[in-house]
Amino acid sequence: MTTTLERPSASPERPADLLLSVHDLRTYFHVMDGTVKAVDGVNFSIRRGETLGIVGESGCGKSVTALTIMRLLDMPPAEIPTGSILFEDRDLLTLPDNEMRKIRGNEIAMIFQEPMTSLNPVFTIGHQISEAVRQHLKVSKKEAVDRAIESLRLVGISFPERRVKQYPHEMSGGMRQRVMIAMALSCEPKLLIADEPTTALDVTIQAQILELIKRIQADTGTALMLITHDLGVVAEMVHDVVVMYAGRVVEEGTVDEVLLQPKHPYTEGLLSSIPSKGLRGSRLNVIKGTVPNPFNMPVGCNFQPRCPYAFEPCPEHDPRIEEGGGPPVACWLWKRAPGHDIPQGLHDAQVAAARQAAAAKAGGVSGAVPTELRGEEIAS
Amino acid sequence: MAVEDSQPTRDRAGAPPAHGQRVAEDLLDTDEDPQQVDREVALQSLNQWQLAWRRFRKHRMAFVGLGILIFLVAVVIVVPIFQPFNFLNIPGSPRPGGEPPRLDRIFGTTYEGRDVFTLVANGGRVSLVVGLMSMVIAGSIGVVVGSIAGFMGGMIDNILMRIVDVFFAIPFLFVILVAARFFGRGDVLSLVLIIGLLSWPLIARLVRASFLSLREADFVDAARAVGVSNMRIAFRHILPNALSPVIVACTLLVANAIVLEAFVSFLGFGIRETEVSWGNALANAQEGIRFGNWWWAFFPGMAIALTVLSINFIGDGLRDALDPRSRD
Amino acid sequence: MLAYIVRRVLQALPVLFLIAVLSFGLMQLAPGGPHQQFQQNPRMTDEMVNRYLARWCLERNPDALGMLRSFGGWFGVWNCDAGGFLSEQGMPNFLPNFLGGGDNGVIHGDFGLSMTVSPNRPVIDLITERIPATAILMLTAFTIWVTLAIILGVIAAVRRYSVFDQSITLMSYIFYSLPTFWLGLMLIYLFAVNLGVLPSSGMLSVRTAPAPFNTPRFWEVFWENPLPLVQDIARHLVLPVITLVAVSVAADTRYVRSAMLDVLGQDYVRTARAKGLPPSRVVFRHAFRNALLPIITNVALALAFLFSGAIVTETIFAWPGMGRLYFEAIQARDYFLVMGVLFVGSLLVVMMNLLADVLYAWADPRIRY
Repeated sequence: MTTTLERPSASPERPADLLLSVHDLRTYFHVMDGTVKAVDGVNFSIRRGETLGIVGESGCGKSVTALTIMRLLDMPPAEIPTGSILFEDRDLLTLPDNEMRKIRGNEIAMIFQEPMTSLNPVFTIGHQISEAVRQHLKVSKKEAVDRAIESLRLVGISFPERRVKQYPHEMSGGMRQRVMIAMALSCEPKLLIADEPTTALDVTIQAQILELIKRIQADTGTALMLITHDLGVVAEMVHDVVVMYAGRVVEEGTVDEVLLQPKHPYTEGLLSSIPSKGLRGSRLNVIKGTVPNPFNMPVGCNFQPRCPYAFEPCPEHDPRIEEGGGPPVACWLWKRAPGHDIPQGLHDAQVAAARQAAAAKAGGVSGAVPTELRGEEIAS
Repeated sequence: MAVEDSQPTRDRAGAPPAHGQRVAEDLLDTDEDPQQVDREVALQSLNQWQLAWRRFRKHRMAFVGLGILIFLVAVVIVVPIFQPFNFLNIPGSPRPGGEPPRLDRIFGTTYEGRDVFTLVANGGRVSLVVGLMSMVIAGSIGVVVGSIAGFMGGMIDNILMRIVDVFFAIPFLFVILVAARFFGRGDVLSLVLIIGLLSWPLIARLVRASFLSLREADFVDAARAVGVSNMRIAFRHILPNALSPVIVACTLLVANAIVLEAFVSFLGFGIRETEVSWGNALANAQEGIRFGNWWWAFFPGMAIALTVLSINFIGDGLRDALDPRSRD
Repeated sequence: MLAYIVRRVLQALPVLFLIAVLSFGLMQLAPGGPHQQFQQNPRMTDEMVNRYLARWCLERNPDALGMLRSFGGWFGVWNCDAGGFLSEQGMPNFLPNFLGGGDNGVIHGDFGLSMTVSPNRPVIDLITERIPATAILMLTAFTIWVTLAIILGVIAAVRRYSVFDQSITLMSYIFYSLPTFWLGLMLIYLFAVNLGVLPSSGMLSVRTAPAPFNTPRFWEVFWENPLPLVQDIARHLVLPVITLVAVSVAADTRYVRSAMLDVLGQDYVRTARAKGLPPSRVVFRHAFRNALLPIITNVALALAFLFSGAIVTETIFAWPGMGRLYFEAIQARDYFLVMGVLFVGSLLVVMMNLLADVLYAWADPRIRY
C-alpha cells in the first residue's frame, strides 16, 4: 500500500465560482488561565451553490470557526493573529465594521443551535424578520412584512399572515428554527452557515428541518456550510466534508471519500464508534483518552496521544494539511515528515509496522473497517 | 513496545465478537504512561468550600475589604483597652467649638473637649456588636422559618409566607423607629432585639426560595430512595446548598444593621446616653456643625462608611465565590 | 389585563387588613399606650373624651373585649356610638357612607385625631397636608436618579471593563456605602455653613414665603407670583436631592449594569448581530428592551421604599413632609398619628408593588393573565 497520496487534481473551476476561501485561520482566546487556541490553522473553501460539512466533537473549534467568519466574536478575549477569509475576493478580516455589517445577514447568514433562545422574546417574529429585511434592502415597512410572510411560507409554516404577529414563546422549537431559517434567508444570502441546527430538536423534527434546509439549498442555490457532530447528518446533507479535531483540520474530501474510505485515525475512530444495529450485543468502540487540555496541546500531531497508530514522527512533527497539493489528511501515515530524514523504504516499513501494531491491539483487524459493513452502517 | 492483548469480550450469547469489530479497550491503557493520562484526564477534586475559597481569593476588592474590616475591628478592640484616660472624663478644653484635628488629637475634639478618636474607637464597639448580634438573631430565626416553610410546603408554608408578606409590606424604617421608640430602653440589647426580630423575614424568604428549588433536585430523591428521614434530608442535605445566598445576605445584613443603629440613635430613639455609639456621636455632633465643627460628625460617619464599604466588598466577593454563575 | 389587576387588588386586601392589625397591635402593646395617654393627658377635656369614646371606642380602661372594640372602631367595622356592626343608617358599618355605612375608621378614611402634635386636628388632614412636600422632594430625586442610573448602567455594561466601567463600579461602591443622613450632614456643612451658598434646612425661606407650604395663604401668594417661590423651593431642594440621588444612583447603576450584562450575553442578541444590525440598534432595541423587565421591577420597588428614604432626608433637612411628620409623631407619642402614617405608608408600598407587577406584565409579552 502506498503511503503517500496525492489529492485528486482540482477540477478546472473558474475562480469566479469560489465563494468563500478560508486560509490559515487562527482564533485564539486569551483568558485568565492562559491562551486557548480554539482554531489553529484552518483551511477550506466553498464554491457557489456548494455544500460543505464541518464535523468534529464538541470543543474542536467548528463553531468558533463559523463565528470568526461572521466576525461575531468579542475581540478583547478573542484574537485572530493570522489568516484570511476571502469572500468573493474581499478579505472579511480586514473589512471595517460597517462594511462587515452589510455582509452579515445579507450575503452571509447564520442560524444557531438553540432555537428556543435565539429569538428575542419581546418582539413579534414578523418584526424580527422584517427588521433584517429593512436593514439590508431599501424597502418600505409594508413590503418588508410581505417579504417576511413570504419567507415564512417558504419554510413551510402554515398561515404565515397570522404567525407574523405572534411571539416566539407561542411557537414550538421546531417552528422557531424554521423562523430562524426564514429570517436567515429573507435577504437571499449567498452563503448560509448552519451551526448544529438540529441538535436541540426532537429526532422527528430534526429530519423535517434537515429536509427543509436541503430543499431550500437546492431551490435557491445558496451555498451551505453545515456544522455538526453527527456523521449521519453529514452523509445526508453535504457534498464535501472537513473533519476537525482540537482546532485543526485533520481530513477533508467529499463525503464518499471521507466516510467510506477514512484516512485519518480520528475519522476512523469516529466512524467505528457509531452504534450499529448490525453489531448488537458487543461493546461500543471508543476512542481512548480524552480531548486534550486546551491550554496544553500536545506537541507535534495533536491527536497523537490517543492514536493507535502513533509512531516515530508523530510526537515531534505537526502533520498539517498543506494547501495546493499533498494528501488531504493530517497524518504521517500518508505522507513524509520533512524533518524526519530517513529513506523512503524505511518509512514505508515503519508505517506498515504501525498499522500492524494497531491492528494487533484491535484484535486482528486491519486499520480500515471493511466496506460492506461501512455501507450498512451509513445506510441504517 | 510491549503489547498486551486484552481479552476479546464475549457477547451475551457467548459467541466471540463479530469479525471486523474493534474491541473496546480500557480508557487507561496499560502500555501508556499513566502519569500523562492523569495529567490529561484527571481534574483536581476540591470540595465545594475549597473551590469557593479559591474564587474568593481572586477577588481583589473582597480582600481589601477584609483587610479594612480587620483593621477597624482591631482598633475598636485595642484602643479602648489602652486609652490613657476614660474618655468620658477628659479634662475640658477651653475652646467652645472644640479643637480641630492636630497631631496629638488626630480626629479633633468635641465642644466638651472629648477626643473624637477615642469616641470613634469606643463607639465602634457598640455599633459593631449591634451589627453582628442582630445578624445572628435575624439569621437564625430566618433560616429556621425559611427551611420549614420551604421544605414543608402546603399550609404551613402559606401561613408563614403571609406573615413574611406583611413584614415586607410595611416600610422597614417606619417599624424600626416605632419599635425603638416605644419598646426600646435605650440600651444595646433592646436595639439588637428590635433589629434582629424585624430583619428575619428577608433571610426567611431567601432560604425558602432555595429550599423550594432544591427540594426537587435529584440528589434529594436519591437520599430519599436510600431511606434518609425527612428531617435529616432537610438539614444535612439541602441546607448546606441553600446556605450560599444566605451567607451573602447575612453579611450585608450586618452593614444594614450598623447603619440602622446609627440612624435610630441619631434620631434619639436608639442607644441613649448610657453608652456611646457611632449614631449617638453623630446626634450630638449635629449641633457642632453649626459652629463649623465638622470633624466631630465627619469621623464617626467615615468610620461607618468604611465599615459598610468593606462589608459590601466582602459580600460581593462571597457572592462571586459561592455562586459562580452570578455576574459581577 | 383588567381581570389581572382586579385579582391582584383583591389579593392585597388581606395583607392590608393584617397591616392594620399590626399597626394597631403595636400601639396597644407599647408601654404607655393610647389608653393611658388618654387618661393622663391634661389637655383632654371631657368633651373630647366623649367624642373619642363615641367614634373610636376609646375607653379609659379597656378589657380584652374593649380592645377588640377599639380596633373595630378604629378600623371602621364597628359602630361605637350605638355599639354594633350596623351604622346609624342601619346598614353594615363597613360600607361607604353614601351607601349607608358609617363614617368612622380607616375604611372610611378617618384615622382619628392627633393628640399631641396638633391636638384635635384629624390625622388625615395632617397627612394630606404633608404629602405634597414629600412628593415634590421624592419625585424630583427619583426621576433624576433613575435616569442617571439607566444611562450610566447601560454605558458601563456596553463598555465592560473599560476605564469608565471600572470607575463607575468603584464610585458605586463608595457612594452606596455612605450613610445617607451623614452625607446630608456633610453637605449641609460644606454648602450651607462653610460656603453659605445654599440653605441648610426647610422648604422655604422666611423672607420669601408668606406662609408655610401648602397653606391657603401660601397658595394665594403663589398664584399671584409663582416665580420667586418656585426658585426658593428649588434652592432648598438642591441639597436634599443631591443627598438622595448620590446614594440611590450608586445602587441602581450597578443593578442596571448587571441586568444589561445578563441580557447582552443572551443568544438573541447574538442573532441580532448576526443579522447585520448596527450596534446601537442591537443594544437599545434588542438588549435594553429585555433588560427593562428586571429594571422595571427594581424601579417600582424603589418607589415603594421612597417613604423610608423620606424619613431620613426630611429629618436632616427639616423638610415639612410626611417623613418629618412621622418623626414628630413618634417623638411626641401621638398614637393615632403614628398609626395613621404607618398605615398610609404601607398602603403606598402595597400600591407600588401592585404597580410593579402590572407594569411588568404589560412589558413582557410572555406573561399571560
